[in-house]
Amino acid sequence: METMNERMRELERRSREAFDSSVEALPAATRRHLARARAEALAGLRRGRPQWSAGWIPAGAAAAAALVGVMLWQGARQGELPEEPSLTAFEDLDLVAGAEELDMFEEDGEFYAWAAEQASGDAG
Amino acid sequence: MPLVDLTCSATLPALAAAAGGGRSAREAAVDSERALERFLAGIERRAYRIAQLALRDHAEAQDAVQDAMIRLVRNYAGHPPEQWRPLFYRILRNRITDSQRRRKVRNAVMAWWAAGVTEDEASDPLVSAVDPGGGPDAVLEGEELLARIEQALAGLSSRQREAFLLRNFEGMDVAQTAVAMGCSEGSVKTHYFRALQALQEVLGEWKR
Repeated sequence: METMNERMRELERRSREAFDSSVEALPAATRRHLARARAEALAGLRRGRPQWSAGWIPAGAAAAAALVGVMLWQGARQGELPEEPSLTAFEDLDLVAGAEELDMFEEDGEFYAWAAEQASGDAG
Repeated sequence: MPLVDLTCSATLPALAAAAGGGRSAREAAVDSERALERFLAGIERRAYRIAQLALRDHAEAQDAVQDAMIRLVRNYAGHPPEQWRPLFYRILRNRITDSQRRRKVRNAVMAWWAAGVTEDEASDPLVSAVDPGGGPDAVLEGEELLARIEQALAGLSSRQREAFLLRNFEGMDVAQTAVAMGCSEGSVKTHYFRALQALQEVLGEWKR
């Protein structure tokens, strides 16, 4: 009789194989797009463009997030919001609550704190 | 290994200086760029599929991977190569979250102004879920299986889904996954185990 552990290992193996096959079967157009994206990223390295301002937060982002939070809350109460396929209601609120990440993707403060802690630990 | 100097903006001269040694700065810079090229070439397709599974949208997944590449090169090229993969997926994860947030904001605004009238033009997850195109039976079987798994993944919490995608599909170890997800190794183990449990429950007798 198969144990739960064995079933999980089988799930891991079969799903990984399916994923690997799908990667191998990527359409040529997608592969070309990714190759172009890579070339552009490396071209940026050669140009040495200035970094984005890491601390920049778009004006009004916090207010916008608050507004959307109200919209979500009211919509959820009235059952009016279209459903997302992969997000729960709690995640919805969590997603819009982070105003600092509304307009750009920055590593979050927790990550920086962790990194700084690692660095200081290494130095000391 | 600790991550340091996270705010540095990498340029070829900076990379060359970091490489140092007896070689010329130009040689060191070229070597660094080649290493990055190899890294990105080796990771881009899997990263795209992971982004596609998370976002369920082809174009958004491509954009997310491209942005992650640009950001990794711009800010972390000077870091040791063994740090690139968790950093890359950390950036990609944030970018995916950002896309989900933007999508949620769009939907919320539309619901607000349209008084609950939803748009039919929203992307159909079933259309974008699996790449089109023919192939040998084994591949088709794999795609069909992956489509079922994708559907099951959509029912997980975002943290469980991330843990499963990074650990099982990308093959990252617990420590790397913890960096990519920005949480403790214990949390990674918990999320991953719960993801497996949930998938097993949802997929049931799929394996036969």
